[in-house]
Amino acid sequence: MNSARFRLRDLGPMVLVLTFVFVSIAPLLWLALAAFKPTADIIAIPPVWIPDFTYLQNFRDVLTQFWPFIVNSLIATVGATILALILAVPTAFALVNHRFHGREALADWILSTRMMPPIAAAVPLFVIFRGAGLLDSLPGLIIAYAGFNLPFAVWMTMSFIRRVPKELIEAARLEGCTWWQVLKDVVLPFSKSGLAAVATFVFIFAWNEFMLALFLTTREAKTFPVVISSFVGTGRVYWEYIAAASVIQCLPPVLFTFFMQKHIVSGVTMGAVKD
Amino acid sequence: MANAVIRAGAPQEAPRRAFIHSDRFQMTAFIAPTCIFLALLTIWPFIYSVYLSLHAVKLTAMKRAVFVGANNYINLLTDPLFLRAMLNTGMLAVTSITCEIVIAFVIAKAFVSLSHLKWVNGLRSLFMLPMMVTPLIVGMIFSYVFNPVLGIANYLLGGVGLGPVPWFGDSTVAMVSILLINIWQWTPFMMLLIMAGLLSIRSDLYEAARVDGAKWHHVLTLLEIPSIKGIVLLGIILRIIDTLRFFDVVYVTTRGGPGDSTMVLTLYAYQQNFQFFQAGVGSAAAVIILIISMVITTFAVRLLRRIENE
Repeated sequence: MNSARFRLRDLGPMVLVLTFVFVSIAPLLWLALAAFKPTADIIAIPPVWIPDFTYLQNFRDVLTQFWPFIVNSLIATVGATILALILAVPTAFALVNHRFHGREALADWILSTRMMPPIAAAVPLFVIFRGAGLLDSLPGLIIAYAGFNLPFAVWMTMSFIRRVPKELIEAARLEGCTWWQVLKDVVLPFSKSGLAAVATFVFIFAWNEFMLALFLTTREAKTFPVVISSFVGTGRVYWEYIAAASVIQCLPPVLFTFFMQKHIVSGVTMGAVKD
Repeated sequence: MANAVIRAGAPQEAPRRAFIHSDRFQMTAFIAPTCIFLALLTIWPFIYSVYLSLHAVKLTAMKRAVFVGANNYINLLTDPLFLRAMLNTGMLAVTSITCEIVIAFVIAKAFVSLSHLKWVNGLRSLFMLPMMVTPLIVGMIFSYVFNPVLGIANYLLGGVGLGPVPWFGDSTVAMVSILLINIWQWTPFMMLLIMAGLLSIRSDLYEAARVDGAKWHHVLTLLEIPSIKGIVLLGIILRIIDTLRFFDVVYVTTRGGPGDSTMVLTLYAYQQNFQFFQAGVGSAAAVIILIISMVITTFAVRLLRRIENE
Protein backbone atom coordinates (compact mmCIF):
# COMPACT_ATOMS: atom_id res chain seq x y z
CA MET A 1 0.00 0.00 0.00
CA ASN A 2 1.41 3.38 1.00
CA SER A 3 5.11 3.61 1.41
CA ALA A 4 6.25 5.02 4.73
CA ARG A 5 8.19 7.80 3.05
CA PHE A 6 7.58 11.49 2.65
CA ARG A 7 6.10 12.28 -0.77
CA LEU A 8 5.90 15.64 -2.49
CA ARG A 9 2.11 15.78 -2.17
CA ASP A 10 2.48 15.42 1.61
CA LEU A 11 3.98 18.89 1.71
CA GLY A 12 0.67 20.81 1.90
CA PRO A 13 -0.85 18.73 4.71
CA MET A 14 2.50 18.75 6.52
CA VAL A 15 2.69 22.55 6.52
CA LEU A 16 -0.89 22.69 7.80
CA VAL A 17 -0.27 20.13 10.52
CA LEU A 18 2.92 21.81 11.69
CA THR A 19 1.17 25.20 11.83
CA PHE A 20 -1.64 23.87 13.98
CA VAL A 21 0.69 21.89 16.22
CA PHE A 22 2.61 25.11 16.76
CA VAL A 23 -0.58 27.03 17.65
CA SER A 24 -1.52 24.21 20.04
CA ILE A 25 1.70 24.04 21.97
CA ALA A 26 3.08 27.60 21.77
CA PRO A 27 0.91 28.99 24.63
CA LEU A 28 1.73 25.95 26.78
CA LEU A 29 5.44 26.28 26.07
CA TRP A 30 5.42 30.00 26.78
CA LEU A 31 4.19 29.50 30.32
CA ALA A 32 6.50 26.51 30.77
CA LEU A 33 9.50 28.64 29.74
CA ALA A 34 8.46 31.30 32.26
CA ALA A 35 8.90 28.70 35.00
CA PHE A 36 12.67 28.88 34.42
CA LYS A 37 12.90 32.67 34.58
CA PRO A 38 13.40 35.03 37.49
CA THR A 39 10.40 37.32 38.09
CA ALA A 40 12.00 40.27 36.28
CA ASP A 41 12.42 38.19 33.12
CA ILE A 42 8.89 36.80 33.27
CA ILE A 43 7.35 40.26 33.08
CA ALA A 44 9.99 41.74 30.75
CA ILE A 45 8.82 43.38 27.51
CA PRO A 46 10.47 42.82 25.08
CA PRO A 47 10.37 39.24 26.30
CA VAL A 48 13.31 37.09 27.29
CA TRP A 49 12.85 34.27 24.80
CA ILE A 50 15.09 31.50 26.05
CA PRO A 51 15.61 31.20 29.78
CA ASP A 52 18.59 29.76 31.61
CA PHE A 53 17.28 26.25 32.29
CA THR A 54 19.53 25.85 35.32
CA TYR A 55 17.46 28.48 37.15
CA LEU A 56 15.22 26.30 39.30
CA GLN A 57 14.43 28.69 42.13
CA ASN A 58 10.72 28.92 41.18
CA PHE A 59 10.32 25.16 41.39
CA ARG A 60 12.22 25.08 44.67
CA ASP A 61 9.97 27.81 46.11
CA VAL A 62 6.74 26.16 45.00
CA LEU A 63 7.78 22.71 46.19
CA THR A 64 9.02 23.84 49.60
CA GLN A 65 6.03 26.08 50.34
CA PHE A 66 3.18 24.18 48.74
CA TRP A 67 4.17 20.51 48.77
CA PRO A 68 1.42 19.56 51.25
CA PHE A 69 -1.19 20.59 48.68
CA ILE A 70 0.47 18.54 45.96
CA VAL A 71 0.29 15.61 48.37
CA ASN A 72 -3.40 16.40 48.98
CA SER A 73 -4.05 16.37 45.25
CA LEU A 74 -2.25 13.05 44.90
CA ILE A 75 -4.09 11.39 47.79
CA ALA A 76 -7.50 12.65 46.64
CA THR A 77 -6.82 11.61 43.05
CA VAL A 78 -5.37 8.17 43.77
CA GLY A 79 -8.04 7.49 46.38
CA ALA A 80 -10.81 8.49 44.00
CA THR A 81 -9.36 6.37 41.21
CA ILE A 82 -9.22 3.28 43.44
CA LEU A 83 -12.71 3.83 44.85
CA ALA A 84 -14.21 4.48 41.42
CA LEU A 85 -12.66 1.32 39.99
CA ILE A 86 -13.65 -0.88 42.91
CA LEU A 87 -17.26 0.17 42.37
CA ALA A 88 -17.23 0.40 38.58
CA VAL A 89 -15.60 -2.88 37.56
CA PRO A 90 -18.09 -5.28 39.18
CA THR A 91 -20.99 -3.10 38.02
CA ALA A 92 -19.73 -3.02 34.45
CA PHE A 93 -19.14 -6.76 34.58
CA ALA A 94 -22.68 -7.45 35.77
CA LEU A 95 -24.21 -5.07 33.24
CA VAL A 96 -22.42 -6.85 30.42
CA ASN A 97 -22.82 -10.47 31.53
CA HIS A 98 -25.99 -10.71 33.53
CA ARG A 99 -29.25 -10.68 31.59
CA PHE A 100 -31.97 -9.14 33.69
CA HIS A 101 -35.03 -7.04 33.20
CA GLY A 102 -34.24 -3.34 32.90
CA ARG A 103 -30.56 -3.89 32.22
CA GLU A 104 -30.33 -1.37 29.40
CA ALA A 105 -32.41 1.17 31.30
CA LEU A 106 -30.06 0.88 34.26
CA ALA A 107 -26.98 1.34 32.08
CA ASP A 108 -28.61 4.36 30.44
CA TRP A 109 -29.40 5.86 33.81
CA ILE A 110 -25.79 5.45 34.90
CA LEU A 111 -24.69 7.13 31.69
CA SER A 112 -27.13 9.98 32.17
CA THR A 113 -25.66 10.77 35.58
CA ARG A 114 -22.37 11.47 33.78
CA MET A 115 -24.09 14.31 31.98
CA MET A 116 -25.16 16.04 35.18
CA PRO A 117 -23.29 19.30 35.70
CA PRO A 118 -21.51 19.16 39.10
CA ILE A 119 -22.85 22.62 39.97
CA ALA A 120 -26.35 21.11 40.07
CA ALA A 121 -25.29 18.92 43.00
CA ALA A 122 -23.06 21.52 44.62
CA VAL A 123 -25.24 22.86 47.44
CA PRO A 124 -26.76 19.51 48.49
CA LEU A 125 -23.27 18.00 48.47
CA PHE A 126 -21.95 20.90 50.51
CA VAL A 127 -24.77 20.52 53.03
CA ILE A 128 -24.34 16.74 53.45
CA PHE A 129 -20.59 17.11 53.74
CA ARG A 130 -20.98 19.85 56.34
CA GLY A 131 -23.34 17.62 58.31
CA ALA A 132 -21.07 14.59 58.05
CA GLY A 133 -17.90 16.52 58.89
CA LEU A 134 -16.49 15.79 55.46
CA LEU A 135 -15.94 19.42 54.43
CA ASP A 136 -12.29 20.28 53.94
CA SER A 137 -11.26 16.64 54.29
CA LEU A 138 -9.52 14.27 51.92
CA PRO A 139 -12.09 11.46 52.39
CA GLY A 140 -14.74 13.97 51.33
CA LEU A 141 -12.83 14.85 48.18
CA ILE A 142 -12.23 11.18 47.40
CA ILE A 143 -15.95 10.45 47.67
CA ALA A 144 -16.92 13.42 45.50
CA TYR A 145 -14.29 12.81 42.83
CA ALA A 146 -15.04 9.09 42.70
CA GLY A 147 -18.75 9.75 42.45
CA PHE A 148 -18.54 12.18 39.57
CA ASN A 149 -16.20 9.88 37.66
CA LEU A 150 -18.10 6.68 38.40
CA PRO A 151 -20.50 6.82 35.40
CA PHE A 152 -17.58 7.34 33.05
CA ALA A 153 -15.64 4.50 34.67
CA VAL A 154 -18.60 2.10 34.40
CA TRP A 155 -19.20 2.86 30.73
CA MET A 156 -15.63 2.71 29.62
CA THR A 157 -15.06 -0.49 31.59
CA MET A 158 -18.13 -2.01 29.94
CA SER A 159 -16.61 -1.37 26.53
CA PHE A 160 -13.50 -3.32 27.53
CA ILE A 161 -15.35 -6.15 29.26
CA ARG A 162 -17.46 -6.68 26.14
CA ARG A 163 -14.28 -7.69 24.35
CA VAL A 164 -13.75 -10.69 26.61
CA PRO A 165 -14.76 -13.70 24.46
CA LYS A 166 -18.13 -15.07 25.58
CA GLU A 167 -16.80 -18.65 25.20
CA LEU A 168 -14.20 -17.99 27.88
CA ILE A 169 -16.82 -16.84 30.37
CA GLU A 170 -19.20 -19.69 29.50
CA ALA A 171 -16.43 -22.23 29.91
CA ALA A 172 -15.58 -20.91 33.34
CA ARG A 173 -19.24 -21.00 34.34
CA LEU A 174 -19.56 -24.58 33.18
CA GLU A 175 -16.66 -25.52 35.38
CA GLY A 176 -18.71 -24.23 38.28
CA CYS A 177 -17.02 -20.87 38.85
CA THR A 178 -19.11 -18.31 40.70
CA TRP A 179 -19.58 -14.95 38.98
CA TRP A 180 -17.11 -13.48 41.41
CA GLN A 181 -14.52 -16.06 40.33
CA VAL A 182 -15.26 -15.41 36.67
CA LEU A 183 -14.67 -11.71 37.25
CA LYS A 184 -11.50 -12.27 39.26
CA ASP A 185 -9.89 -15.09 37.27
CA VAL A 186 -11.13 -14.60 33.71
CA VAL A 187 -12.27 -11.05 33.06
CA LEU A 188 -9.74 -9.09 35.10
CA PRO A 189 -6.63 -10.77 33.65
CA PHE A 190 -8.10 -10.48 30.15
CA SER A 191 -8.91 -6.77 30.32
CA LYS A 192 -5.92 -5.60 32.37
CA SER A 193 -4.68 -3.07 29.84
CA GLY A 194 -8.17 -1.69 29.26
CA LEU A 195 -8.71 -1.24 32.98
CA ALA A 196 -5.35 0.50 33.22
CA ALA A 197 -6.65 2.95 30.63
CA VAL A 198 -9.85 3.52 32.60
CA ALA A 199 -7.84 4.09 35.78
CA THR A 200 -5.54 6.55 34.06
CA PHE A 201 -8.48 8.50 32.68
CA VAL A 202 -10.19 8.72 36.04
CA PHE A 203 -6.86 9.79 37.53
CA ILE A 204 -6.47 12.61 35.02
CA PHE A 205 -10.08 13.80 35.36
CA ALA A 206 -9.80 13.88 39.14
CA TRP A 207 -6.35 15.49 38.98
CA ASN A 208 -7.70 18.26 36.71
CA GLU A 209 -10.78 18.90 38.86
CA PHE A 210 -11.06 22.41 40.25
CA MET A 211 -14.59 23.62 41.04
CA LEU A 212 -15.50 20.83 43.47
CA ALA A 213 -12.31 21.35 45.42
CA LEU A 214 -12.92 25.09 45.42
CA PHE A 215 -16.06 24.86 47.54
CA LEU A 216 -15.42 21.57 49.35
CA THR A 217 -12.07 22.62 50.79
CA THR A 218 -10.93 25.68 52.70
CA ARG A 219 -7.54 25.04 54.33
CA GLU A 220 -6.38 21.59 55.31
CA ALA A 221 -7.50 19.61 52.27
CA LYS A 222 -6.98 22.26 49.59
CA THR A 223 -5.83 20.70 46.35
CA PHE A 224 -3.02 22.02 44.20
CA PRO A 225 -5.28 23.68 41.58
CA VAL A 226 -7.09 25.60 44.33
CA VAL A 227 -3.75 26.86 45.62
CA ILE A 228 -2.66 27.81 42.10
CA SER A 229 -5.85 29.82 41.62
CA SER A 230 -5.00 31.80 44.75
CA PHE A 231 -1.72 33.01 43.18
CA VAL A 232 -3.85 35.53 41.29
CA GLY A 233 -4.67 37.68 44.26
CA THR A 234 -6.29 41.08 44.43
CA GLY A 235 -2.90 42.69 44.76
CA ARG A 236 0.20 41.10 43.29
CA VAL A 237 0.04 38.24 40.81
CA TYR A 238 2.72 35.64 41.56
CA TRP A 239 3.69 34.77 38.00
CA GLU A 240 6.84 32.90 39.04
CA TYR A 241 4.75 30.59 41.26
CA ILE A 242 2.00 30.27 38.67
CA ALA A 243 4.48 29.22 35.97
CA ALA A 244 6.36 26.65 38.05
CA ALA A 245 3.19 25.28 39.66
CA SER A 246 1.51 24.97 36.26
CA VAL A 247 4.38 22.87 34.96
CA ILE A 248 4.09 20.55 37.96
CA GLN A 249 0.29 20.40 37.68
CA CYS A 250 0.38 19.61 33.94
CA LEU A 251 3.08 16.95 34.15
CA PRO A 252 0.74 13.95 34.72
CA PRO A 253 -1.75 14.80 31.94
CA VAL A 254 1.02 15.60 29.46
CA LEU A 255 2.92 12.37 30.13
CA PHE A 256 -0.36 10.49 29.94
CA THR A 257 -1.16 11.96 26.52
CA PHE A 258 2.01 10.45 25.13
CA PHE A 259 1.83 7.06 26.81
CA MET A 260 -1.88 6.37 26.43
CA GLN A 261 -2.31 7.76 22.96
CA LYS A 262 -4.06 4.71 21.59
CA HIS A 263 -6.77 4.74 24.25
CA ILE A 264 -7.56 8.43 24.10
CA VAL A 265 -10.33 8.29 21.50
CA SER A 266 -12.18 5.61 23.40
CA GLY A 267 -11.53 7.50 26.64
CA VAL A 268 -12.99 10.82 25.57
CA THR A 269 -16.11 9.13 24.20
CA MET A 270 -16.66 6.91 27.24
CA GLY A 271 -15.86 3.82 25.23
CA ALA A 272 -18.46 4.54 22.54
CA VAL A 273 -15.75 4.70 19.88
CA LYS A 274 -13.30 1.81 19.76
CA ASP A 275 -9.61 2.49 19.61
CA MET B 1 -24.52 -31.35 20.97
CA ALA B 2 -21.42 -31.77 23.06
CA ASN B 3 -22.43 -28.70 25.01
CA ALA B 4 -25.79 -30.18 25.89
CA VAL B 5 -24.09 -33.16 27.47
CA ILE B 6 -21.87 -31.01 29.64
CA ARG B 7 -24.72 -28.68 30.64
CA ALA B 8 -26.77 -31.55 31.90
CA GLY B 9 -24.38 -31.87 34.83
CA ALA B 10 -24.75 -28.30 36.01
CA PRO B 11 -28.26 -28.20 37.55
CA GLN B 12 -27.45 -31.01 39.94
CA GLU B 13 -24.77 -28.91 41.56
CA ALA B 14 -26.92 -25.80 41.73
CA PRO B 15 -28.89 -26.61 44.92
CA ARG B 16 -25.65 -27.19 46.81
CA ARG B 17 -24.58 -23.62 46.32
CA ALA B 18 -25.42 -21.38 49.24
CA PHE B 19 -27.56 -18.30 48.76
CA ILE B 20 -24.53 -16.02 48.62
CA HIS B 21 -23.31 -18.00 45.64
CA SER B 22 -26.56 -17.52 43.76
CA ASP B 23 -26.37 -15.51 40.54
CA ARG B 24 -28.98 -13.05 41.63
CA PHE B 25 -27.27 -12.25 44.91
CA GLN B 26 -23.83 -11.85 43.36
CA MET B 27 -25.05 -9.65 40.55
CA THR B 28 -27.01 -7.46 42.93
CA ALA B 29 -23.92 -7.12 45.09
CA PHE B 30 -21.98 -6.07 42.00
CA ILE B 31 -24.45 -3.42 40.91
CA ALA B 32 -26.11 -2.10 44.05
CA PRO B 33 -23.24 -0.08 45.61
CA THR B 34 -22.71 1.88 42.40
CA CYS B 35 -26.42 2.61 42.05
CA ILE B 36 -26.82 3.70 45.65
CA PHE B 37 -23.77 5.94 45.38
CA LEU B 38 -24.97 7.53 42.15
CA ALA B 39 -28.48 8.01 43.48
CA LEU B 40 -27.08 9.81 46.52
CA LEU B 41 -25.04 11.97 44.19
CA THR B 42 -27.74 12.76 41.65
CA ILE B 43 -31.33 11.98 42.64
CA TRP B 44 -31.12 13.19 46.20
CA PRO B 45 -29.35 16.47 45.31
CA PHE B 46 -31.95 17.07 42.62
CA ILE B 47 -34.85 16.72 45.07
CA TYR B 48 -33.05 18.82 47.65
CA SER B 49 -32.20 21.51 45.06
CA VAL B 50 -35.82 21.74 44.00
CA TYR B 51 -36.81 22.08 47.66
CA LEU B 52 -34.23 24.83 48.26
CA SER B 53 -35.14 26.64 45.05
CA LEU B 54 -38.66 27.19 46.43
CA HIS B 55 -37.31 28.81 49.60
CA ALA B 56 -35.54 31.99 50.60
CA VAL B 57 -32.52 30.51 52.31
CA LYS B 58 -28.94 31.41 53.13
CA LEU B 59 -26.18 28.83 52.86
CA THR B 60 -24.92 30.08 56.21
CA ALA B 61 -28.29 29.62 57.94
CA MET B 62 -30.01 26.65 56.33
CA LYS B 63 -32.43 26.14 59.24
CA ARG B 64 -34.16 29.44 58.59
CA ALA B 65 -35.69 28.63 55.23
CA VAL B 66 -38.85 30.51 54.27
CA PHE B 67 -41.14 29.14 51.59
CA VAL B 68 -41.44 31.63 48.73
CA GLY B 69 -42.99 29.55 45.96
CA ALA B 70 -41.71 30.29 42.48
CA ASN B 71 -40.23 33.64 43.52
CA ASN B 72 -36.63 32.56 43.02
CA TYR B 73 -37.41 31.40 39.49
CA ILE B 74 -39.25 34.62 38.69
CA ASN B 75 -36.35 36.67 40.05
CA LEU B 76 -33.88 34.61 38.05
CA LEU B 77 -35.73 34.91 34.78
CA THR B 78 -35.98 38.67 35.23
CA ASP B 79 -32.35 39.05 36.37
CA PRO B 80 -30.37 40.54 33.44
CA LEU B 81 -27.20 38.87 34.75
CA PHE B 82 -28.77 35.41 34.63
CA LEU B 83 -30.24 36.02 31.18
CA ARG B 84 -26.81 37.20 30.10
CA ALA B 85 -25.31 33.99 31.48
CA MET B 86 -27.84 31.91 29.53
CA LEU B 87 -27.20 33.88 26.35
CA ASN B 88 -23.41 33.68 26.71
CA THR B 89 -23.47 29.96 27.41
CA GLY B 90 -25.70 29.32 24.41
CA MET B 91 -23.61 31.57 22.18
CA LEU B 92 -20.42 29.92 23.36
CA ALA B 93 -21.84 26.48 22.63
CA VAL B 94 -23.01 27.35 19.12
CA THR B 95 -20.07 29.41 17.85
CA SER B 96 -17.30 27.50 19.56
CA ILE B 97 -18.56 24.07 18.53
CA THR B 98 -19.17 25.18 14.93
CA CYS B 99 -15.65 26.60 14.60
CA GLU B 100 -14.18 23.52 16.27
CA ILE B 101 -15.85 21.17 13.80
CA VAL B 102 -14.76 23.10 10.71
CA ILE B 103 -11.13 23.51 11.82
CA ALA B 104 -11.00 19.97 13.19
CA PHE B 105 -12.21 18.52 9.89
CA VAL B 106 -9.45 20.26 7.93
CA ILE B 107 -6.75 19.14 10.36
CA ALA B 108 -8.16 15.62 10.54
CA LYS B 109 -7.96 15.36 6.75
CA ALA B 110 -4.35 16.54 6.88
CA PHE B 111 -3.47 14.01 9.58
CA VAL B 112 -5.23 11.19 7.73
CA SER B 113 -3.36 11.96 4.51
CA LEU B 114 -0.10 11.82 6.46
CA SER B 115 -0.98 8.68 8.38
CA HIS B 116 1.52 6.55 6.41
CA LEU B 117 4.31 8.45 8.19
CA LYS B 118 4.84 6.81 11.58
CA TRP B 119 6.36 9.82 13.32
CA VAL B 120 3.27 11.93 12.58
CA ASN B 121 1.65 10.16 15.56
CA GLY B 122 4.00 12.11 17.79
CA LEU B 123 2.80 15.36 16.22
CA ARG B 124 -0.79 14.30 16.87
CA SER B 125 -0.02 13.84 20.57
CA LEU B 126 1.47 17.32 20.69
CA PHE B 127 -1.60 18.72 18.95
CA MET B 128 -3.85 17.03 21.53
CA LEU B 129 -2.13 18.51 24.58
CA PRO B 130 -4.53 21.48 25.07
CA MET B 131 -7.49 19.19 25.78
CA MET B 132 -5.56 17.15 28.33
CA VAL B 133 -3.95 19.86 30.46
CA THR B 134 -5.78 21.08 33.56
CA PRO B 135 -8.49 23.57 32.48
CA LEU B 136 -7.54 25.90 35.31
CA ILE B 137 -4.01 26.06 33.90
CA VAL B 138 -5.46 26.89 30.48
CA GLY B 139 -6.98 29.94 32.16
CA MET B 140 -3.61 30.79 33.72
CA ILE B 141 -1.77 30.41 30.40
CA PHE B 142 -4.05 32.87 28.67
CA SER B 143 -4.05 35.32 31.59
CA TYR B 144 -0.32 35.42 30.95
CA VAL B 145 -0.33 35.42 27.14
CA PHE B 146 -3.19 37.94 26.83
CA ASN B 147 -2.00 40.15 29.71
CA PRO B 148 -2.33 43.84 28.77
CA VAL B 149 1.06 44.78 30.24
CA LEU B 150 3.35 41.78 30.03
CA GLY B 151 1.48 39.58 27.55
CA ILE B 152 3.32 38.25 24.55
CA ALA B 153 0.21 38.36 22.31
CA ASN B 154 0.09 42.16 22.22
CA TYR B 155 3.88 42.35 21.93
CA LEU B 156 3.85 40.16 18.82
CA LEU B 157 0.88 42.03 17.33
CA GLY B 158 2.71 45.29 18.03
CA GLY B 159 5.68 43.93 16.08
CA VAL B 160 3.55 43.79 12.93
CA GLY B 161 1.91 47.14 13.66
CA LEU B 162 -1.33 45.87 15.18
CA GLY B 163 -3.02 46.23 18.53
CA PRO B 164 -2.85 46.55 21.42
CA VAL B 165 -5.92 44.32 21.75
CA PRO B 166 -7.81 44.66 25.09
CA TRP B 167 -8.16 40.85 25.35
CA PHE B 168 -10.02 40.74 28.64
CA GLY B 169 -10.53 44.50 29.10
CA ASP B 170 -13.33 45.21 26.66
CA SER B 171 -16.76 43.64 27.00
CA THR B 172 -17.05 42.52 23.37
CA VAL B 173 -13.44 41.46 22.95
CA ALA B 174 -13.45 39.52 26.24
CA MET B 175 -16.19 37.20 25.00
CA VAL B 176 -14.26 36.65 21.75
CA SER B 177 -11.14 35.86 23.78
CA ILE B 178 -13.02 33.29 25.84
CA LEU B 179 -14.34 31.85 22.59
CA LEU B 180 -10.82 31.63 21.12
CA ILE B 181 -9.53 29.89 24.24
CA ASN B 182 -12.37 27.38 23.99
CA ILE B 183 -11.65 26.70 20.34
CA TRP B 184 -7.95 26.35 21.07
CA GLN B 185 -8.60 23.90 23.87
CA TRP B 186 -11.30 21.72 22.28
CA THR B 187 -10.55 21.56 18.55
CA PRO B 188 -8.18 18.63 19.26
CA PHE B 189 -11.09 16.74 20.81
CA MET B 190 -13.24 17.14 17.68
CA MET B 191 -10.22 16.37 15.53
CA LEU B 192 -9.74 13.04 17.30
CA LEU B 193 -13.37 12.07 16.78
CA ILE B 194 -13.47 13.16 13.14
CA MET B 195 -10.19 11.40 12.46
CA ALA B 196 -11.55 8.19 13.98
CA GLY B 197 -14.56 8.56 11.69
CA LEU B 198 -12.48 9.22 8.59
CA LEU B 199 -10.15 6.32 9.28
CA SER B 200 -13.13 3.98 9.47
CA ILE B 201 -14.00 4.70 5.81
CA ARG B 202 -12.80 1.78 3.70
CA SER B 203 -10.14 2.85 1.23
CA ASP B 204 -11.84 0.99 -1.64
CA LEU B 205 -14.75 3.44 -1.33
CA TYR B 206 -12.35 6.32 -2.01
CA GLU B 207 -10.92 4.26 -4.84
CA ALA B 208 -14.40 3.67 -6.30
CA ALA B 209 -15.19 7.39 -6.03
CA ARG B 210 -11.98 8.21 -7.89
CA VAL B 211 -12.70 5.69 -10.63
CA ASP B 212 -16.20 7.14 -11.03
CA GLY B 213 -14.64 10.55 -11.48
CA ALA B 214 -16.18 12.07 -8.32
CA LYS B 215 -15.15 15.64 -7.53
CA TRP B 216 -13.82 16.48 -4.04
CA HIS B 217 -17.14 17.95 -2.97
CA HIS B 218 -18.94 14.77 -4.00
CA VAL B 219 -16.55 12.77 -1.86
CA LEU B 220 -17.15 15.21 0.98
CA THR B 221 -20.95 15.28 0.88
CA LEU B 222 -21.69 11.74 -0.27
CA LEU B 223 -18.98 9.72 1.46
CA GLU B 224 -17.18 11.59 4.23
CA ILE B 225 -19.96 13.56 5.90
CA PRO B 226 -22.35 10.57 6.08
CA SER B 227 -19.55 8.43 7.55
CA ILE B 228 -18.63 10.84 10.34
CA LYS B 229 -22.14 12.16 11.08
CA GLY B 230 -22.82 9.93 14.08
CA ILE B 231 -19.49 10.48 15.74
CA VAL B 232 -19.60 14.25 15.20
CA LEU B 233 -23.09 14.36 16.71
CA LEU B 234 -21.71 12.53 19.73
CA GLY B 235 -18.89 15.09 19.90
CA ILE B 236 -21.39 17.96 19.72
CA ILE B 237 -23.42 16.57 22.59
CA LEU B 238 -20.39 15.98 24.79
CA ARG B 239 -19.19 19.52 24.05
CA ILE B 240 -22.60 21.04 24.91
CA ILE B 241 -22.48 19.20 28.22
CA ASP B 242 -18.94 20.58 28.73
CA THR B 243 -20.07 24.10 27.92
CA LEU B 244 -22.84 23.89 30.52
CA ARG B 245 -20.20 23.16 33.17
CA PHE B 246 -17.68 25.64 31.74
CA PHE B 247 -16.18 27.38 34.77
CA ASP B 248 -12.44 27.14 35.39
CA VAL B 249 -11.23 29.36 32.54
CA VAL B 250 -13.63 32.25 33.19
CA TYR B 251 -13.02 31.94 36.91
CA VAL B 252 -9.34 32.82 36.55
CA THR B 253 -9.39 35.08 33.48
CA THR B 254 -12.40 37.38 33.73
CA ARG B 255 -14.65 36.30 36.64
CA GLY B 256 -17.53 36.98 34.28
CA GLY B 257 -16.41 40.53 33.54
CA PRO B 258 -15.90 43.18 32.44
CA GLY B 259 -19.37 43.99 33.69
CA ASP B 260 -21.48 40.94 32.90
CA SER B 261 -19.96 40.32 29.48
CA THR B 262 -18.47 36.86 30.04
CA MET B 263 -20.83 35.54 32.72
CA VAL B 264 -21.73 31.88 32.15
CA LEU B 265 -24.31 29.64 33.85
CA THR B 266 -22.08 27.60 36.14
CA LEU B 267 -20.17 30.67 37.31
CA TYR B 268 -23.48 32.44 38.02
CA ALA B 269 -24.80 29.55 40.12
CA TYR B 270 -21.45 29.20 41.87
CA GLN B 271 -21.34 32.86 42.84
CA GLN B 272 -24.95 32.91 44.08
CA ASN B 273 -24.35 29.83 46.23
CA PHE B 274 -20.83 30.21 47.54
CA GLN B 275 -20.03 33.92 47.35
CA PHE B 276 -23.40 35.54 48.16
CA PHE B 277 -24.65 32.43 50.03
CA GLN B 278 -28.04 32.78 48.31
CA ALA B 279 -28.76 29.05 48.32
CA GLY B 280 -32.37 29.58 47.17
CA VAL B 281 -31.55 31.57 44.03
CA GLY B 282 -28.42 29.49 43.41
CA SER B 283 -30.42 26.27 43.62
CA ALA B 284 -33.05 27.61 41.24
CA ALA B 285 -30.24 28.35 38.77
CA ALA B 286 -28.83 24.87 39.36
CA VAL B 287 -32.25 23.30 38.68
CA ILE B 288 -32.54 25.22 35.40
CA ILE B 289 -29.05 24.10 34.35
CA LEU B 290 -29.97 20.56 35.29
CA ILE B 291 -33.17 20.61 33.24
CA ILE B 292 -31.29 21.90 30.19
CA SER B 293 -28.70 19.18 30.55
CA MET B 294 -31.39 16.53 31.11
CA VAL B 295 -33.02 17.40 27.79
CA ILE B 296 -29.67 17.14 26.03
CA THR B 297 -28.82 13.96 27.93
CA THR B 298 -31.93 12.21 26.71
CA PHE B 299 -30.69 12.65 23.15
CA ALA B 300 -27.13 11.79 24.15
CA VAL B 301 -28.01 8.47 25.76
CA ARG B 302 -30.04 7.33 22.75
CA LEU B 303 -27.24 8.33 20.42
CA LEU B 304 -24.52 6.60 22.41
CA ARG B 305 -26.61 3.43 22.48
CA ARG B 306 -27.00 3.58 18.72
CA ILE B 307 -23.30 4.06 18.07
CA GLU B 308 -22.54 1.33 20.61
CA ASN B 309 -24.80 -1.11 18.75
CA GLU B 310 -23.36 -0.38 15.30
